[in-house]
Amino acid sequence: MTPAEAFGQYLELYKAAYTAKDGILSRLNASCAAALPGAIESYSTESTDIRETRTPALFAPDYGVNAGRIEMPADPAKSFRCGVPKLNSLLAIVSYDIFHATDTMTRGAVAGLTYESLRTLKDAEADDAEAILMKSIDTSRPDVLVNGLLLQDGIFIHTSAGTIVEKALQIVNIDAASVPMLSPRRIVIHAEADSHVKILLCDHSQNEDIENLNSQVVQIVAERGSKVELYDIEETNASTRRNCTIYADISDRASIVLNGSFLRGGITRNEYVVNLKGKQAEAHLSGLGICTDSQILDNRVTLTHSGTDGHSSQLFKNALFDSAKASFGGKIIVTEGAERTDAVQTNRNLLASPDARMHTSPQLEIYCDDVKCGHGAATGQLDEQALFYMQTRGIPREEAVRMLTQAFMVDVVDNISFEVLRQRLHILVEKRLNGTSGSCDTCATACHPQSPEQL
Amino acid sequence: MNENKENKVITDATEGEYKYGFTSDIDTDIIPPGLSEDVIRFISAKKHEPDWLLDFRLNAYRHWLTLPVPQWAHLTIPPIDYQAISYYAAPVKRNTPKSMDEVDPALVDTFNRLGIPLEEQKVLSGMAVDAVMDSVSVKTTHRERLAELGIIFCSFSEAVREYPDLVRKYLGKVVSYRDNFYAALNSAVFSDGSFVYIPKGVRCPMELSTYFRINAAGTGQFERTLIVADDDSYVSYLEGCTAPMRDENQLHAAIVEIIVEDRAEVKYSTVQNWYAGDAEGRGGIYNFVTKRGLCRGDYSKLSWTQVETGSAITWKYPSCILAGEGSVGEFYSVAVTNRMQQADTGTKMIHIGSNSRSTIVSKGISAGHSQNSYRGLVKVDKNAEGCRNYTQCDSLLLSSTCGAHTFPVIDVANSSAVVEHEATTSKISEDQIFYCNQRGIPTEEAVALIVNGYAKEVMNKLPMEFAVEAQKLLEITLEGSVG
Repeated sequence: MTPAEAFGQYLELYKAAYTAKDGILSRLNASCAAALPGAIESYSTESTDIRETRTPALFAPDYGVNAGRIEMPADPAKSFRCGVPKLNSLLAIVSYDIFHATDTMTRGAVAGLTYESLRTLKDAEADDAEAILMKSIDTSRPDVLVNGLLLQDGIFIHTSAGTIVEKALQIVNIDAASVPMLSPRRIVIHAEADSHVKILLCDHSQNEDIENLNSQVVQIVAERGSKVELYDIEETNASTRRNCTIYADISDRASIVLNGSFLRGGITRNEYVVNLKGKQAEAHLSGLGICTDSQILDNRVTLTHSGTDGHSSQLFKNALFDSAKASFGGKIIVTEGAERTDAVQTNRNLLASPDARMHTSPQLEIYCDDVKCGHGAATGQLDEQALFYMQTRGIPREEAVRMLTQAFMVDVVDNISFEVLRQRLHILVEKRLNGTSGSCDTCATACHPQSPEQL
Repeated sequence: MNENKENKVITDATEGEYKYGFTSDIDTDIIPPGLSEDVIRFISAKKHEPDWLLDFRLNAYRHWLTLPVPQWAHLTIPPIDYQAISYYAAPVKRNTPKSMDEVDPALVDTFNRLGIPLEEQKVLSGMAVDAVMDSVSVKTTHRERLAELGIIFCSFSEAVREYPDLVRKYLGKVVSYRDNFYAALNSAVFSDGSFVYIPKGVRCPMELSTYFRINAAGTGQFERTLIVADDDSYVSYLEGCTAPMRDENQLHAAIVEIIVEDRAEVKYSTVQNWYAGDAEGRGGIYNFVTKRGLCRGDYSKLSWTQVETGSAITWKYPSCILAGEGSVGEFYSVAVTNRMQQADTGTKMIHIGSNSRSTIVSKGISAGHSQNSYRGLVKVDKNAEGCRNYTQCDSLLLSSTCGAHTFPVIDVANSSAVVEHEATTSKISEDQIFYCNQRGIPTEEAVALIVNGYAKEVMNKLPMEFAVEAQKLLEITLEGSVG
């Protein structure tokens, strides 16, 4: 299928099914509709080696869109396999693309925090959200334009100057459709000066064997001195397709933490586009992927240093079993004038099966001399000697492999400064490697499912 | 030291003009510019080539017509008019020279000014020099001694005449004419080059060396080198280049093919110092080269060492296909770019045989307004067990207006492989300069010292005879007055 057919089908769907003309989302839809044909025309094949994660391949199936805004009942108890909902957080549940606030987050519960649907925004906040939505229409990316084209809901998170939100904001995405659907999701995060916000994003799916495409775009604007942390956990199923792009604009002295954990899924492509445009801006990106069966994970990073004295770190680790495939494409760009930049990028991969395949391209583009940039990439396997040592101590080989794989992953998890989540993730990684994260019945943490009435 | 002063010293140190810019005046037999099947037939006829070679050229030409110009490199290449290039230039033969005295004095003078007196080399250095001047081999030395061992070292056209079966067996087996745009062009119009065959069990007693020069204005040069090392043999081959000053861009699209059989070893060293254009980026050579070796035999070894200091644009990826069990590939490179130079260079290590190993050490140095990129591929095939790769690629930046880029790709499809890649980018730190100044070393010399130390790991891999010249070139390119 050509890119024109893959993306173009959604333009036809938009013309046929989208009738609303008012509101910020309708205006965004219309702008994306105008820009999409040009973007399709100038689309050139992405440089990834994995054919399955190229965006036209992800968008090619004939997905439906919930244009009629039909409620899809989601049963969190069925979806949650991870125990994370037990966190004391400000929880919102997104079923398909429909935003449901829970009683943990009534409006004004935290002074200075706005955390609500893009559909219900009013006045100044609506203008703010629209400005961010419109500003970053990326005309080089048909997949992002399709997201904007079909968007009917989304989440707006805004922290006013100096606000420090103690509790984490948790957003649980649940794919609950019973037919193949494309769920366009959007999160707009605007952290004003010196504010601090932590966001936890969990992706789940309810129905096995239903192929869904989760198209998600996150836009982050971090103003002077602010700090935004975004933790993203994916625990869906083998038929889920995910295409997630995170855009972040970082101003003076602001910092951003982006952490992605791929625990279970089908085909996932995560794209990070980070621009450190302010002085002393910081970005810390990390990701772990545990891929089994024929799962595919593609992490792509474009990190641009255009401000002076910037600092960035990247740490991405993958463990690949069975016939899993993974790719890491990392690019650091240091523009002219971004003096005293310090950037490091690390990618480590474990190939635990003869059929697994890893593709990595850690790239540097530097146009400025006073910089310190380093990158390292390695692909290998567990140390035979270590395995042998453990076996001589009576640890079965399988157990030893699990322990060493867990140890291999541990530094990505340890990077998480959000303590409760860090502990959870340690358990989740262990469970994932044990093969027990697949269902609630075998779950050792005995998390208590929340009642469906909460929706 | 304050920053301005330091910058000035580095700028002064890196602004030396090209010292080897001169043109030797030799009558050349040039055909009018343009490329067509007739031109190819003319070249082939002029060289008395057999039909199979003409067919090879014509097939390549027809394939070339279907190919687009590659755009993927991190280079800005001005459009090249392939019809404006003359595809054949040969020194006019007066009489076959019987001794050095009979060789064109202008040619001998050219070599002398380059510091390569043929007689001296013949007597003292023990090297066989197959000097290629504008595509046709002019003089070959030490042929007799090599012939005793059964080693064939001659110009490509001679090889086609005298050893057609060998050439036919190996030509295009590593770099097919379908390989890429420039390889197809070369296969269609290649003029001459070198052919080396080392028979079974022979260790070549001397380093084989060829100096190439591009000499006539507006003539592209398209050499083709084919090296075959049969079982248990060894050869070290040197290639060195200097070119005269020209205001006009010259295209150079060469092919080097190397075949390494069981337990054989080939070491290929290059020093490239073609004219890089002036300070504004006018003129200079476009160096678009396809170099590839096939380690076909078990436990075979191929080692590439290159020092790239010249050319306006360099597009070059000496590669190893490690097909044999336990075969070894090595790539050591220093690439220096200054002023408006652009380089996109690196290597490919394709691991097909089990237990094959490869090492990549790439050192990039950028100064002025230049752009220097490393581009590499390490690929481990699904059936290649126990492969090992180590890659190190470092960049040194000497000005705030230059660029240093790294584009490695690692593709592993076998779980027993261990592949590592490390890269760093930095400038010369003030601490290092200060330390040298403290010990009485002027800043200018300190920069030279640090750059040489930085490149030492690669320089050490060059044969003795070459290391001195390479170091000199590095200094001339960067420091001008230093060294």
